[in-house]
Amino acid sequence: MTREDIKTLILEIIQDIDDEADFDNLDPGKPLRDQLDLDSMDFLDIVMELRKRHQLQIPEADYPHLATLNSCVDYLEPLLKDA
Amino acid sequence: MKIPFLIIGGGLSGLAAAIRFARFNPEVLILEKHHRIGGLNSYFFRNNQLFETGLHAITNYAAAKDRRAPLNRLLRQLKLSRDQFQFHQQIQSEIIFKGCASLSFSNDFAMIEEEIARKFPHCQDGFHRLVAFLHSFDPFTIAPFRSARQFLNRYIPDRLLVDMLLCPLMFYGSSIEEDMDLGQFAIMFRAIFLEGLFRPGGTVKDFLDVLLTHYRALGGSLRTGAEVSTILHTGGRIDGVVLATGETILCDCLLSTIGIEETLSLLGRPPLPQNSPRLGFVETIFQLQPALCPQLPEDRTIIFFNNSATFHYKKPDTAVDFTSGVICLPQNFAGLPPSTRQEIRSTHLASYDAWKELARDRHEYLAEKGKTADHSREVLSAITGDFSRAIVYHDTFTPLTIERYTAKKEGAIYGHPQKIKDGVLGCDNLFLAGTDQGFLGIIGSMLSGVSMVNQHMLARF
Ligand SMILES: Cc1cc2nc3c(=O)[nH]c(=O)nc-3n(C[C@H](O)[C@H](O)[C@H](O)COP(=O)(O)OP(=O)(O)OC[C@H]3O[C@@H](n4cnc5c(N)ncnc54)[C@H](O)[C@@H]3O)c2cc1C
Repeated sequence: MTREDIKTLILEIIQDIDDEADFDNLDPGKPLRDQLDLDSMDFLDIVMELRKRHQLQIPEADYPHLATLNSCVDYLEPLLKDA
Repeated sequence: MKIPFLIIGGGLSGLAAAIRFARFNPEVLILEKHHRIGGLNSYFFRNNQLFETGLHAITNYAAAKDRRAPLNRLLRQLKLSRDQFQFHQQIQSEIIFKGCASLSFSNDFAMIEEEIARKFPHCQDGFHRLVAFLHSFDPFTIAPFRSARQFLNRYIPDRLLVDMLLCPLMFYGSSIEEDMDLGQFAIMFRAIFLEGLFRPGGTVKDFLDVLLTHYRALGGSLRTGAEVSTILHTGGRIDGVVLATGETILCDCLLSTIGIEETLSLLGRPPLPQNSPRLGFVETIFQLQPALCPQLPEDRTIIFFNNSATFHYKKPDTAVDFTSGVICLPQNFAGLPPSTRQEIRSTHLASYDAWKELARDRHEYLAEKGKTADHSREVLSAITGDFSRAIVYHDTFTPLTIERYTAKKEGAIYGHPQKIKDGVLGCDNLFLAGTDQGFLGIIGSMLSGVSMVNQHMLARF
């Protein structure tokens, strides 16, 4: 997957969690949590969807890597390079 | 047969846990003893009509835009849309302490604030400080028992107001006598006063059908008429269960929603020490003929009342304690379509032991049920106006009825007085959810199921 694909994937998953999520003013360098009003239960959904769709096992210690859209892409790029 | 995730109990906590898991993995099976799902919150048919068993009002009302509210979190976690239900908010409810004071409240918190300012001006500041404290307090941090009553005494210099605030919170969510744990108090205060009451459109059957259809669409399985009689375990690990029919079902992980003591007994382990009694209730449903009905209040949804000099929330010495209770007028939710049926329901504290004693003689038991309905009707009539002439049907559930249909020990709706808040039972692959994990009521039990799956199940598969 390219970085662009991964970005799309993450936004798609978030859209699925909250169909009213508004990405227009999303700053990819700032925490998703604050901008989209996501809580820890929503983050768990992102992790679970990544597992369901791409068999990725993300250990809890790595959850902080999912904080911003950019950090998600950085973290997932090597893991999804063959996806 | 080996199932990755097995759930004992098809009540609301079991259903919510199962749906949560099935969203990511369809290999989950619910075993329900009864021939119908819902547990305490179910329904039955009499005279070709459906009667609901355990729904006065759902707590934790929140507007759709309030994403962090427990109700919306729950719906998101289960991937259910609000459009699948119609939510009808309460009109207004009231706490009435006879001869002393009454307080009205609604889903707008300002109402109870104004009531307190007007009727208990000397408590107004304390009440505001209490609310400010509750906003900053995290009730989900696991802590030993702290007395809510003692805590309230520090903020509110009037025993009457303390009792009036505790009364609805206790009736809708306390498993212990005369007091509540501070954490449970904070949860219930938010659920009832800060958020508020509502009900789904249609009947509880429609509500359960939405959950079940969703669960099945995700690929999850359910077996009704499947009573678990033994939990199989070796060396601190659960292997599976044996049903009353003798059938064995193996599993990787087990979630029990049937109560702590009920679960320990299936494991062949001794019960927990218990230093206060379980609380039983009687509930009477009066079905009324609207044409014959006098003017019942149209602007009250739930009435919590106390008629005695001091309010007691404890197991009575007699079969029923009629001095306090809850009245539900299920028509009085905003926006319900007009109905040809009208109901009024009552709840009072009751003694399981007294009913058990009465049940040794079937006639005496039935006679006492009849007397209970009559007495309850008189108590209600003094508050709502006399509706005797309009009654077309009535039915009373005792703690024995609840025990028979939900297998809850002593018919105690709120379960064991002590709660196992982390849901951990000393086995690596067995957890407890629902009533005895400490989350009470409809939203509470469902959130309990979801959080146990999130914390203990999802990472395993
Ligand atoms: C009269 C009444 C009024 C109520 N009013 C309200 C209200 O207005 N608002 C509100 O929020 N809550 C209300 N409640 C409470 C609410 O219904 C419960 O808190 C909630 O439904 C509890 O769900 P649960 O899953 O924890 O337990 P349960 O509903 O008890 O679920 C446990 C399930 O396990 C099954 N089971 C037991 N033993 C076995 C076994 N050995 N094998 C297989 N299955 C087994 C039982 O049949 C049951 O279906 C009321 C309850 C009652 C009875």
